[in-house]
Amino acid sequence: MQGTAGYGAPAPTGPVQVAYICGDCGAENTLKPGDVIRCRECGYRILYKKRTKRVVQYEARW
Amino acid sequence: MATKTTKREPQVELRKLTDDYCEFVLKGTDVSMANALRRIILVEVPTIAIELVEFEANTTVLNDEFLAHRLGLIPLVSTRVHDMKSIYEAQVGAWVARRRRHYIHPVGYHDREDKGILLVKMRRNQELKLRAVARKGTGKDHAKWMPVATCVYQFMPEITINHALMDTLTDDQKEEWCAADPRKTFRLNKLTHRVEVTNPELYQYDGEVLAKAEEMGKPGLVAIKQKQDTFIFRVEGTGVLPPQDIVLTACEVLASKIRNLDAALAEEARRFDGREEPAPMQA
Repeated sequence: MQGTAGYGAPAPTGPVQVAYICGDCGAENTLKPGDVIRCRECGYRILYKKRTKRVVQYEARW
Repeated sequence: MATKTTKREPQVELRKLTDDYCEFVLKGTDVSMANALRRIILVEVPTIAIELVEFEANTTVLNDEFLAHRLGLIPLVSTRVHDMKSIYEAQVGAWVARRRRHYIHPVGYHDREDKGILLVKMRRNQELKLRAVARKGTGKDHAKWMPVATCVYQFMPEITINHALMDTLTDDQKEEWCAADPRKTFRLNKLTHRVEVTNPELYQYDGEVLAKAEEMGKPGLVAIKQKQDTFIFRVEGTGVLPPQDIVLTACEVLASKIRNLDAALAEEARRFDGREEPAPMQA
């Protein structure tokens, strides 16, 4: 129930393109399966996944 | 120990009442009542708090769960809680405008001029978009619904000084003994040379004076008991509800519990009577 959004999305047809954010310069990179994980702008090798566009719901308790 | 079957004739003496503090003396009842009242005040008086938070965007330094938790702990002015039949109830716009003091808002935050409670500090270009849903609840479910910071009661001490034994001490010794109490419950009257109790309520049952008497070789200088029918209540509110409201609601909760029990017992007795035929008498 909590914060599981982003999983189980229907598989689109054709090559899957996913946008990532570079951990160094912050540039957006679109990658396909098999691509080298490397920023096109600065060559940094750590890329971050973007936050889901869906609303995530949490219980306000611990 | 045989229990005294004294009739309960409770009396309340209000001592102090402010926006967030209430002090009263409950007399003529027993511990079961006082403790029931305390426990109900703590966790069974309903208030309003944020329960669900829906995040659309959050690029602040605090993560979603962390912020949701913080939002939940914000005390909300809950005077409207008594009108709520269900735990979720939409806020009616017109109603809000008409009776502003019942509007649900954080304690100490009335308009944009107020600082309010700091949730998260944001830098330029950081984004936060969320929707929070508050609901009615009780402290039993989660501490965020507790209406008070503390609610405690204290037994009224019953202090008897053994003056005959006390007179075997010199004035200096008496003063030394009085000084042993950290709360200065006792005082030496310079005129009569007698030890007096300044205010019995100051005594914290720490046993310091008893130890001192023992040390001076005079055990039994003073006898201190807890009065079993007098309770000094101190209720510290959080601003969520006025303290008198908290206590009165707690009394109503307790009364309704007793009514429910009474009805259930009457029902059970009726059921039992119908099933169990009295056995025929043997000649």
